[in-house]
Amino acid sequence: MSENPYISYDARILEVKDMTPREKLFTLRFVDPEVGENFSFKPGQFVIVDVRGFGEFPISLCSSPTRKGYIQLCIRKVGRMTKYVHKMQEGKIVGIRGPYGNGFPMEKMEGSNFLLVAGGLGMAPLRSVLWYAIDTGKYDHIWLFYGTKAYEDLLFRDEIVHLLKHGEAMNCSVKLAYEIESPSCIYLERGFSDRVCKGVVTDLFKGEEFDVENTYALICGPPVMYKFVIRELSNRRLSPGRIYMTLERRMRCGIGKCGHCIVGTSTSIKYVCKAGPVFTYWDALSTRGLI
Amino acid sequence: MRYIKLSSKNFERFFKALGIWGKVYGPVKKGDIYSFQEVQRLEEIVLDYNRTMLPPKKFFVRPKDTILRLKNGKWENDVEEGGFVLFGLHSCDIHGLKILDKVYLEEPVDPYYKARRESAFIVGISCIPDEYCFCRSLGTDFAMDGFDLFLHELPDGWLVRVGSVKGHELVWKNEELFDEVTDEDIQHFREFEERRARSFKRKLSKEGLADMLDLAYSSPVWKKYADICLACGNCNMVCPTCRCYEVCDKWINAYEAVRERRYDSCFMENHGLVAGGHNFRPTRLDRFRHRYYCKSYFDPSAGFNCVGCGRCDEFCPAGIEHVKVLDEVRGSLQ
Ligand SMILES: Cc1cc2nc3c(=O)[nH]c(=O)nc-3n(C[C@H](O)[C@H](O)[C@H](O)COP(=O)(O)OP(=O)(O)OC[C@H]3O[C@@H](n4cnc5c(N)ncnc54)[C@H](O)[C@@H]3O)c2cc1C
Ligand code: SF4
Ligand code: SF4
Ligand code: FES
Repeated sequence: MSENPYISYDARILEVKDMTPREKLFTLRFVDPEVGENFSFKPGQFVIVDVRGFGEFPISLCSSPTRKGYIQLCIRKVGRMTKYVHKMQEGKIVGIRGPYGNGFPMEKMEGSNFLLVAGGLGMAPLRSVLWYAIDTGKYDHIWLFYGTKAYEDLLFRDEIVHLLKHGEAMNCSVKLAYEIESPSCIYLERGFSDRVCKGVVTDLFKGEEFDVENTYALICGPPVMYKFVIRELSNRRLSPGRIYMTLERRMRCGIGKCGHCIVGTSTSIKYVCKAGPVFTYWDALSTRGLI
Repeated sequence: MRYIKLSSKNFERFFKALGIWGKVYGPVKKGDIYSFQEVQRLEEIVLDYNRTMLPPKKFFVRPKDTILRLKNGKWENDVEEGGFVLFGLHSCDIHGLKILDKVYLEEPVDPYYKARRESAFIVGISCIPDEYCFCRSLGTDFAMDGFDLFLHELPDGWLVRVGSVKGHELVWKNEELFDEVTDEDIQHFREFEERRARSFKRKLSKEGLADMLDLAYSSPVWKKYADICLACGNCNMVCPTCRCYEVCDKWINAYEAVRERRYDSCFMENHGLVAGGHNFRPTRLDRFRHRYYCKSYFDPSAGFNCVGCGRCDEFCPAGIEHVKVLDEVRGSLQ
């Protein structure tokens, strides 16, 4: 047996950063430089993190492929495995296999506008798109609509606030919505009254018009969010083929074998790990159970 | 295809000759059921069995399988053992393996499955359907490939179809056991096949089935059966095309761990459960329906995901019948 797709590569944790009480940002580098060199990915793809002897779980790549030499994963502590990883310190080794999934079609979208709609942890894969677009400069304008529970839940807080202040110079407009008030958000709201508001992410759509012929919407968030965001986009007559979303399912193998991520019905069975996790709204219209 | 004849008097010697390839497994009777087990002598095999409980997938995707071993912080592969012979596979089970091939041999290739597939020597055998079989409706009642040798019963022996180079080589090494096929043999072969075709009692109407089921998503029939279903997952275990698996790491001592995978069932509540307690198929109805959609998925390049072996019917403790469910769901559209 030469090549075994289930065996992960050693990656060293270079940095662990607390982002919120629940989420940490892990910066990793492959121990074998050749592996690192060969590891290329597209925004929207994910890896399987392997804590040898304890288990594996899928996590989106939240860094951009334009920034080489490391990868970043934003991991929320929710259960057995993620709790374990949250205890790991800088210098420790984890296994990484991947990248898996289709990712966003970045090349096809060149020259267009982006509307990134993120809810909570959904910011993680969209951050990869955001930085990719800013770094390559191959895209027109970028809007980021980001909704969180509270200011304290804002992921990549420094980056987001920086973009809120200076984004226009990078062709990027950021809007934030929060549900629970705090002194920090009131302060932000005062500074950016047109772009920060109390409410849910769909409230950010109020009064906004998009050039639907030249815009792609990329959505990622909790399952409930999709329906409402898609309604806003459909009201503005954005084609279902221009709406991309990245989905989560239970995943074991990440490579189309274990069957856990299967969705659809007798005419449309799909593996989210292979055919996705990025799908268009058209895929959702023709595949029952996708959203 | 190459056709040759194996006469009854040489059958035993042929069986022994298979042994050079490796261990031989064949259908044996255990209590009331049949099962593929290692056999030493031809007499142990029941040639006219109807179906085993576990299909031959168990040799390629094992119910419980150690895939990796952790030693000094590094994963190691488990070494594969040598060749083995699966003797007496029915056509539907051969088709079942071909469906698994589509999953496990597609890139990235599953190395465990591939190694076992390559080390298996498959001998098919003709059968007569019982009340559960509906393979004929699905076109899986006859295998054109996916075997090394296929034995068709004749009054005085077997008509052998040679389906692979491996099969050809075995025949070559044992040339003296085989004869040329005569016109009379061909006549008998045809008669057997015709008699067999007439013996099917169960039929699945598959015309437009995938679309019909899709349209009948909200049919009350799903609920009717989901209410009877015990969610035991037996139908998944015995199905030759079901192959969902779970993965689990286990420590065997302070320094060594193994990563195991084992059969999973989409009837289990946690099959679609993700972090935070969100379940993509929260009710038994969702899960029941999902299995039928998965089995009735129509892949234009490969057909349906069901081979009509009848196992899920025979081994369902609630007496749920696959074809009946599908017919009723389709019927509920009118
Ligand atoms: C494509 C994809 C991308 C993801 N990206 C991120 C990300 O960027 N950041 C992040 O924090 N989380 C992400 N997740 C979710 C993450 O995989 C789960 O939170 C994690 O698996 C939970 O593991 P646990 O053992 O801590 O949780 P537990 O609740 O203890 O899980 C119990 C068991 O279920 C399994 N499980 C639970 N949820 C999932 C799931 N969604 N997929 C597969 N297995 C699951 C776990 O492996 C575990 O064995 C992503 C999931 C997918 C499918
Ligand atoms: S074997 Fe029968 S009772 Fe058990 S899960 Fe399958 S359909 Fe339900
Ligand atoms: S669904 Fe039932 S009849 Fe079809 S292949 Fe599986 S066990 Fe056999
Ligand atoms: S995660 Fe195993 S099939 Fe998709």
